[in-house]
Amino acid sequence: MSGHDSKYFSTTKKGEIPELKEELNSQYKDKRKDAVKKVIAAMTVGKDVSSLFTDVVNCMQTENLELKKLVYLYLINYAKSQPDLAILAVNTFVKDSQDPNPLIRALAVRTMGCIRVDKITEYLCDPLQRCLKDDDPYVRKTAAICVAKLFDINAELVEDRGFLDSLKDLISDNNPMVVANAVAALAEIQENSSRPIFEITGHTLSKLLTALNECTEWGQVFILDALSRYKAADAREAENIVERVTPRLQHANCAVVLSAVKMILQQMELITSTDVVRNLCKKMAPPLVTLLSAEPEIQYVALRNINLIVQRRPTILAHEIKVFFCKYNDPIYVKMEKLEIMIKLASDRNIDQVLLEFKEYATEVDVDFVRKAVRAIGRCAIKLERAAERCISVLLELIKIKVNYVVQEAIIVIKDIFRRYPNTYESIIATLCESLDTLDEPEAKASMIWIIGEYAERIDNADELLESFLESFPEEPAQVQLQLLTATVKLFLKKPTEGPQQMIQVVLNNATVETDNPDLRDRAYIYWRLLSTDPEAAKDVVLAEKPVITDDSNQLDPSLLDELLANIATLSSVYHKPPEAFVTRVKTTAQRIEEDDYPNGSEQGYSDATSHVVDGAASPPTSSSSSPYTATRQSAPPAAAPAPAPQVPDLLGDLMGLDNSGAIVPADQPAAPSSPPLPVLLPASTGQGLQISAQLTRRDGQIFYSLLFENNSQIPLDGFMIQFNKNTFGLAAAGPLQVPQLQPGTSAMSLLPMILFQNISAGPPSSLMQIAVKNNQQPVWYFNDKMAVNVLFTEDGRMERGSFLETWRSLPDSNEILKEFPGIVMSNPEATLDRLAASNMFFIAKRKHVNQDVFYFSAKIPQGVPILIELTTAVGNPGVKCAIKTPNPDMAPLFFEAVETLLKA
Amino acid sequence: MSQRGDNIVFRDYRGDVQKGSAEIFFRKVKFWKEDGQEEAPPVFNADGVNYFHVKVVGLLFVATTRINLSPSLVLELLQRIARVIKDYLGVLNEDSLRKNFVLVYELLDEVIDFGYVQSTSTEVLKSYVFNEPIVIDAARLQPLGPASIFMQGTKRMPGTAVTKSVVANEPGGRKREEIFVDIIEKISVTFSSSGYILTSEIDGTIQMKSYLTGNPEIRIALNEDLGIGKGGRSIYDYRSSSGSGAVVLDDCNFHESVRLDSFDTDRTLSLIPPDGEFPVMNYRMTQEFKPPFRINTLIEEAGPLKAEVIIKVSAEFSASITANTIVVEMPLPKYTTRVSFGLEPGAAGQRTDFKEATKRLEWGLKKIVGGSEHTLRAKLTFSQETHGNITKESGPVNMTFTIPMYNASRLQVKYLQIAKKSSTYNPYRWVRYVTQANSYVARI
Repeated sequence: MSGHDSKYFSTTKKGEIPELKEELNSQYKDKRKDAVKKVIAAMTVGKDVSSLFTDVVNCMQTENLELKKLVYLYLINYAKSQPDLAILAVNTFVKDSQDPNPLIRALAVRTMGCIRVDKITEYLCDPLQRCLKDDDPYVRKTAAICVAKLFDINAELVEDRGFLDSLKDLISDNNPMVVANAVAALAEIQENSSRPIFEITGHTLSKLLTALNECTEWGQVFILDALSRYKAADAREAENIVERVTPRLQHANCAVVLSAVKMILQQMELITSTDVVRNLCKKMAPPLVTLLSAEPEIQYVALRNINLIVQRRPTILAHEIKVFFCKYNDPIYVKMEKLEIMIKLASDRNIDQVLLEFKEYATEVDVDFVRKAVRAIGRCAIKLERAAERCISVLLELIKIKVNYVVQEAIIVIKDIFRRYPNTYESIIATLCESLDTLDEPEAKASMIWIIGEYAERIDNADELLESFLESFPEEPAQVQLQLLTATVKLFLKKPTEGPQQMIQVVLNNATVETDNPDLRDRAYIYWRLLSTDPEAAKDVVLAEKPVITDDSNQLDPSLLDELLANIATLSSVYHKPPEAFVTRVKTTAQRIEEDDYPNGSEQGYSDATSHVVDGAASPPTSSSSSPYTATRQSAPPAAAPAPAPQVPDLLGDLMGLDNSGAIVPADQPAAPSSPPLPVLLPASTGQGLQISAQLTRRDGQIFYSLLFENNSQIPLDGFMIQFNKNTFGLAAAGPLQVPQLQPGTSAMSLLPMILFQNISAGPPSSLMQIAVKNNQQPVWYFNDKMAVNVLFTEDGRMERGSFLETWRSLPDSNEILKEFPGIVMSNPEATLDRLAASNMFFIAKRKHVNQDVFYFSAKIPQGVPILIELTTAVGNPGVKCAIKTPNPDMAPLFFEAVETLLKA
Repeated sequence: MSQRGDNIVFRDYRGDVQKGSAEIFFRKVKFWKEDGQEEAPPVFNADGVNYFHVKVVGLLFVATTRINLSPSLVLELLQRIARVIKDYLGVLNEDSLRKNFVLVYELLDEVIDFGYVQSTSTEVLKSYVFNEPIVIDAARLQPLGPASIFMQGTKRMPGTAVTKSVVANEPGGRKREEIFVDIIEKISVTFSSSGYILTSEIDGTIQMKSYLTGNPEIRIALNEDLGIGKGGRSIYDYRSSSGSGAVVLDDCNFHESVRLDSFDTDRTLSLIPPDGEFPVMNYRMTQEFKPPFRINTLIEEAGPLKAEVIIKVSAEFSASITANTIVVEMPLPKYTTRVSFGLEPGAAGQRTDFKEATKRLEWGLKKIVGGSEHTLRAKLTFSQETHGNITKESGPVNMTFTIPMYNASRLQVKYLQIAKKSSTYNPYRWVRYVTQANSYVARI
């Protein structure tokens, strides 16, 4: 062959397609081959050459493998858009699959499997059957993969034609390549199937472990990954497995090493002998470190995995901290990961070395890296009490260099250190105050202001310092405004002199009248009211002792860590997210995850940890500057906001007595009167005569909060407003509460539309909902409600039987949670089913089990989380056993509550 | 994918990722800004599609998947694909890829089937791949990758030998019988401001590329007293371990073709080398070694807006060895406005530069002969007063270099034996050593 292929990319001036057509039909072989190459070139750059389909397919019948491969490549690309024409190729495929040349046989099967056209698939079965039993291993290994392809197109066909059994036979093949492909194919089929297809028995285990030694490196990865699902029966078996796998740690292929590490870590859980475990840890360390000598891309993966491993078994790399020191030429993503691990491995023994490194990094060029290094010093201080002082002195040294972003970052971490060790290091405040003027980042400013407020009594000129910020109050970001508000209140409580008194007037005015930020206004009003009614109580609340924050560098939730460790050497371990959080199969779900849905897990844990105290409207305003309080809070749209106060009231004046009824629009007459009485949440005895009853309901696919207000007091009440604290599902009001003025002795119903996912609280799921209601005449009332989770069940929760079964089987057993409702009797199943269906809990199937009936239901809560429910009961007798299976098993308790409520109703 | 983001070769094995994935990927990588970082990590997820990428000689090798598979497998695979293509094409660059796209498609189809890696061994692939490479003229090319480091250093290397394809026949007909064994070491050293070694590490590879017909068995003997693993060694006592005696590796791994039957007894490796370039053995060592260069940096303030930096580099290796392509770099304070350089009298083959944008001083030397010393004086002018912080706001000094025929670890290939009975058979055997700087840093 002469010339360069790239000439195929160059376009000819006139009518390219007709010209190619002519060449494809040339009588000369070489010319035809050149033409096909040109077609492929056009295809690669994205041109549509599908109109040449027939002409290209005509070139298929050739002995020339090179040409044949090209034609096949074309076919794979275009068969889908030309399914009828693709049939033309079937005969050649079938013929090729019986060609004496094994390469052609394999090529035919391989290509047919890639053509996802039903009619072709039909013709694939016979050749595939033959090829699975072919004499040539190359053909068999290609056929093995082809079964997986076929399963993806048509799973039933695979099962009906018995391909799974043939595939299982291939596990005992004498060619390791065939074994590896069969294992890979079976593992994938298993993953997508709900039935147990590929169970690893002790027998297959030993066969596969033997094959492991002869496989190619990639085959070793397939086998190790498949075997990692195997649960050894006892410590002895686990030790045996580990012994066979350990030599893989020496492999040059990083994927083999990581898969072997995964397998060993998993079996280690079963091994009881501490000697063996210690020995294994020792053996794993050098290969893990060696991964850091690979290309930076692989280092990154290794570091993300090591991050998980050291959280579970810190001893493995406890002595290797030096290898995580950043290199000059490491890419930034590697450096960042190394820092994380250095913090995790930092101990009293090596902290001096580590600090020296951090200090060095903090003077490097890359701003993001420098910031992270400064933060790392702070995190070490919080983690290691004995080293805190050394960490602080390093931070002070850095502050003295006066590089702006270093100073700001240092102040942010020092604020956390003050939280961790109260009343220990305040002597450095003076140094910090020197940098006051240079602060221009909200977080740093807020931190500094927090420090001033918290230690106002020890800073002589605290009032001056705060005052300097006040001038720009309206322009400051919300985060800074909130801190200024709190700090000023603290200052006033600590030094109730004239200066602070004036300041607080200014601040409260700014924070109530001049702002349209509901968080700020809410907080300001609370302070105002506290200060005006009971300054001592204000002191108790505002100056309350804060819980001590703790080290957060091992923040992954233990159950998540367990899951991630089981997924070592997979993408999951890189994102630090469970697989279901990002794996989206196109075939099954079209669901997409959010683009920014995979932030660094531990980083997130960090920012939460310093601010867990501040939570919602009801809790006392504390100090942490990185408060989630400032996070977007959309529960109260501007319409519901209180109207501005007309003048600055006297501190002792009644804040809530202001006239703001203008903002409230009288409510329509809502609520069906036939519904059962609403539960009382705020009894009249607590509410100074105001009684509130409420319940969540679902109507026409929307969630409402149905409220009943009864005024048993002596005065008319008006200006009702409502606010929901963060809760598990982020339930919040979708609009303003509409309640007319309530004369004494009257009542009003209101139906408040609700929305989901507004302010989601962290932490374990809970049905608790905290609500605050205020009016113009009374203090703010706080009360709790228990969400009936069943109102979240959506109308589209009905599942097809098939997909129900599939979902049920695809979820691991650990996701199934059981609960008994001993008191409940199901006497009329039909009626119950109807009632459940009306509440969007849909009946799927029923079967008899001994003398009991088993009912299956499906339900769904928004954002697509399915809930599969199994109820077992003997009709007419008390006692219902309920099993729930869902991708979010931690929500199961809520679902049980919901199911129990529905059954009782 | 080229650096500009065009697809050079694109193969979709499963059809489960939407069409525009290449553009999505490129846009993501180009405008990456997440977690406060500006460089995309090699693995990320966008809209349910996971993207993997590695950069090899300026080309982007990208893979996508929707499944939770092993990322190290994919990244390793991408590296291997690059290597296999290089084996076939001789040279890996955009031009050679475009000229050989049909061959590359054919290779990709044999390497991966339905997303499953089948083989990345050039040797194995040879029996299934029929297109012939169009070799592009290597002489015109910018030398790239590890192969190039030998061409500059030692004149006796025929320049094209390492860039020839494993399958293409030489124009003269018969292939030349030869085998290359390269011991490539990348060293990382961090010196403290007082010149004390804080960390030192060697990442080494014994790389082999064989052009021997009939694939005869090969034996490679290493230092007999080579030790491996230091057990529960703590990082603190590494300097107490023998400084001059045996070479002790922390860890090593081997290519799958290597048989280690007699490795434990006499430190020999035997293997039947597959075609193509591959690492016989990778090793890692933190045992103390003598660093090839010492760097002394002195910063003197000369008034409120001026300072002088003096960098002295001394080559502490034998005079028979010459290091080449040396670059010394040092970040300067951000308020540096001007730098004037002074080289020692009679300096040749040296260049100096002040990179305005990154505020970096660069000093390049074509070569440094063992035992010699070179000094650079740089006068800095600042736009603001320094407050005595210059040392904290500049540095560290970083150095890159290549030293052919030198290896820091003292690991040696004692002999390279080719088991073929014919007495007339005497192929060329090249055993070459080279040491390169990985992260060679002196703090100030």
